[in-house]
Amino acid sequence: MDKQLDLLQGTLDMLILKAVSLSPLHGYGILLRIQQISKERLEIQQGSLYPALYRLEHHGWIASEWGESENKRRARYYRLTAAGKRRLQSEAERWNQMTAVIAGILQATPEEL
Amino acid sequence: MNLWARFRSWSAAMLRRSRMEREMDEEMRFHIAAHAATLMARGVSQQEALRQARVEFGGMEMTKDGCRDAVGVSFLETLFQDLRHGLRSLLRSPLFTLVTVFVLALGIGANTAIFGVVDAVSLRPLAYRDSGRLVTILMNGDNPVSVANYIDWRDQSRSFAAMGAADYWSPNLTGVESPEHITGLKVTQSLLPMLGIQPLLGRLFVEGEDKEGADREVILSYRLWQRRFSGDRNVLGKPIVLDGNAYIVVGVMPRGFQFAPFWATRAELWVPNAFGARIHDRGGNSLRIFARLKDGISLQQARAEIAGITERLERQFPGTNRNVLVTPLKEKVVGPIQTPLLVLLAAVAFVLLITCANVAHMLLARSATRHREVAVRAALGARRGRIVRQFLTESLLLGSVGGALGLGLAILGARALIAMSPPNIPRVQTVAIDLRAALFLLSATLFTSVGFGLAPALQASSVNVNDTLKEGGRSQSEGVGRNRLRSLLVISEFALALVLLIGAGLMIRTFSALQAVDAGFNPHNVVSMVVSVAGTKESEPARRAIFYRQLIERIRSLPGVQAAGGINHLPLAGDQWGSSFVVEGRPRPRPGESPRAIYRMVTPGYFSAMRLPLLRGRDISETDDVNAPGVVIINQRAAREYWPGEDPIGKRISFDDDEAAPTKWVTIIGVAKDARQSDWAAAPSPEIYLAAFQNHDFLGDSGSQVASHVSYITLVARTSGDPAAAAPAMKEAVWSLDRNLAISEVLTMDAVVADATAQPRFEMQLLTIFAAVALVLAAVGIYGVISYSASRRTHEIGVRMSLGATRRDVLLLIVHQGMRLAVAGSLTGIVGALLLSRLMRKLLYGVQPTDPMTFVVVATGLAVVAIVACYIPARRAMRINPMAALRYE
Repeated sequence: MDKQLDLLQGTLDMLILKAVSLSPLHGYGILLRIQQISKERLEIQQGSLYPALYRLEHHGWIASEWGESENKRRARYYRLTAAGKRRLQSEAERWNQMTAVIAGILQATPEEL
Repeated sequence: MNLWARFRSWSAAMLRRSRMEREMDEEMRFHIAAHAATLMARGVSQQEALRQARVEFGGMEMTKDGCRDAVGVSFLETLFQDLRHGLRSLLRSPLFTLVTVFVLALGIGANTAIFGVVDAVSLRPLAYRDSGRLVTILMNGDNPVSVANYIDWRDQSRSFAAMGAADYWSPNLTGVESPEHITGLKVTQSLLPMLGIQPLLGRLFVEGEDKEGADREVILSYRLWQRRFSGDRNVLGKPIVLDGNAYIVVGVMPRGFQFAPFWATRAELWVPNAFGARIHDRGGNSLRIFARLKDGISLQQARAEIAGITERLERQFPGTNRNVLVTPLKEKVVGPIQTPLLVLLAAVAFVLLITCANVAHMLLARSATRHREVAVRAALGARRGRIVRQFLTESLLLGSVGGALGLGLAILGARALIAMSPPNIPRVQTVAIDLRAALFLLSATLFTSVGFGLAPALQASSVNVNDTLKEGGRSQSEGVGRNRLRSLLVISEFALALVLLIGAGLMIRTFSALQAVDAGFNPHNVVSMVVSVAGTKESEPARRAIFYRQLIERIRSLPGVQAAGGINHLPLAGDQWGSSFVVEGRPRPRPGESPRAIYRMVTPGYFSAMRLPLLRGRDISETDDVNAPGVVIINQRAAREYWPGEDPIGKRISFDDDEAAPTKWVTIIGVAKDARQSDWAAAPSPEIYLAAFQNHDFLGDSGSQVASHVSYITLVARTSGDPAAAAPAMKEAVWSLDRNLAISEVLTMDAVVADATAQPRFEMQLLTIFAAVALVLAAVGIYGVISYSASRRTHEIGVRMSLGATRRDVLLLIVHQGMRLAVAGSLTGIVGALLLSRLMRKLLYGVQPTDPMTFVVVATGLAVVAIVACYIPARRAMRINPMAALRYE
């Protein structure tokens, strides 16, 4: 297994929004989905997921309802709202700009300076 | 989010609170179960899978806290949670809770009650409009002035928006069912409007009504209106009879209106003061002057102006305008009572501090047993701040219940204080546990709760999770820091208790010194009453002497009465008049330096009824009447002061207004023992007893201003049995002569003396109660600490004993530990008391604030209490079986 990376500060919200943008998921499902997409290279403290979920729901970016899980247990499912969609978009843009800028800086050669 | 939205979110969240908690729980359980299932699918055993799932999830409590925080309901949310938890944990130890709540209720309640009194009596402004601008102008800041002076000051000053004057006047209300002697004031027209209080009914006096001939109007107090006229609105415009003259009722003042506030406080009616010929009078000092400072004029400016005016007048009329002082009205009212009240407030605050220290003790002891609970919570992810908050919530819960009970106690306490308060405390009737007192109670509660809760909370939250949990059920060894904190608490309790005890001790010494004061007369078995002839046929000058003689004769003949006499003003209870006089054959003194004396008018029989011994000469006899040469008796002090080394008997003096060429002389026929005069604690001043039946003022035929003041006699009777029981028969005897006579001030001399010492007694009682409470709390405190620490040292004691320590050694070990604290506390307390007791100087009589005896007795007494409090746990420790102790733990 590749070495796991600690999650960058402030990126968990974005990952959650992305995860639930594909289909509604329960908390554990979100965890699995992120790990799956990241090919298990991201380390997420499991408990920390929930305060983030509650915060996002409080902001109205995701909504939740109780449903039935794959193994017939009651579980709370989260889905992206319209506001959440816009939020994800702007967050993603910001992230891309940021990584581009940082990548540019890191690739700079002495001649360019 | 705006406020409203925030509130809605909060309230919605509160409604959903329990649901949310449930769902949160379920959601996380699901997570852990699902993860465990995943792990099991990889071949991990069920038990191990669950364990691993929990570990990977992390602290559940912390996560939940995070969720609550995220939703923003956390404050109320946690508060409710903490309250629930706190309540449960308090109910688990009911005895602790009960004792703590009770102690707190006492401390907070007592503080609030005293605050209520201090607030009503001395903090709140007087109940007049803009009362901070009102002042009095009096000789020496205390004594009344003459009419001519008042008029000069009023006309020459520019600093005052208004100035007014009042004379004491107590007329008989007749023409009604039972005649009554009523306290009232004659006021200038300017006086009442100056106070800015509108009448409830009718009007105040108008311009011109204080002129002679136009002055027959009266304004009633609410109480008098209710009592004598049943609150009848039609009383306006009707005449009432005062001292035989008809006065038209023009107004009724609102309920609670009181004037004057520092003297004649029981005034129930006001009439215009027509000066008439008195406008030229510079000798008869009877007016109290009140004024309102003009806007923009400071007290200093007004004082400077009055000083200038009186200096000028003093040059013009020597001896009439000396030391005239402008005093703020409030200072005049509350000044004398300020020191005692502050001392009491400080004392009761000390009690509250001791209470705090004591409750902090108990909480510390309790938190020691709660180590595991705290450690478990910390292990589950509770942050330190959260645990401190939980503990503080518990303290607040205790404090609030204590405060709520304290409110009840405060209401009862305030009532008790009013009931036991000495008669001369101004505004004490207005004492109530009102909003201000309630706010005080609230802040006292908060202060106390944080005060006693913070230290234990911080201590408790600083547990080392690993150590505590590893130790399992074993008891905790005492941390050094905790011990030091508890020791500090005990030391401060002892210091505070010692200061209070010294305060109480000094008051007890003061009171016993006052009790030992020789009144001069014998107050036991004496009853007195004021009989007023004003407005009756007996007030006729020709009839008064006959009537008074008849009256005293009637009283003497009553069964059980051994002796009877009359006087104008009873010592200690009545008014007190003074005058300058001329001694025959001596050079005329410089103006203002004439000999002065208090004077009273007495009938034959007064001295024997009071058992006031005549040291030399003879008593006034029945034959000393208007036709006989004038005679007086002087007191010892007057003899010493004005006839040092001489025999005063046979010397002649004169009270004539014209001191340059007196015509009427009276001869000194006796010297009486000094008797207390108006102030029980003050050494008697020179005093002269005039023969009442020779005095034209007393008999009402002098035509002077004074004569209209003297229309009453105070009867004094010595009884063989209970003096109070003789009063009804005496009243009947008076009324058998004339049904219209008003009787007032029926008092036993014992009650008069008790009243005169009521204030120091009150202060002594309260301080003693506070000190006793402090002593008990301090004793309980040291007992708790020592017995707690002794029980913690069981093992150590076992070791010591098995190594050869005797029981005595153990006893000394434990007692020594306690006594070190007690001594440290007492020494601190002695230093504190030396610094603080000086503030009580004004309250003390016959004892110094640093009285060594009080200090020694109190410190010794406290030490004995400490020894006893330590001895009990020490004895228990002494009986430890070393073998059992070593096996212990």
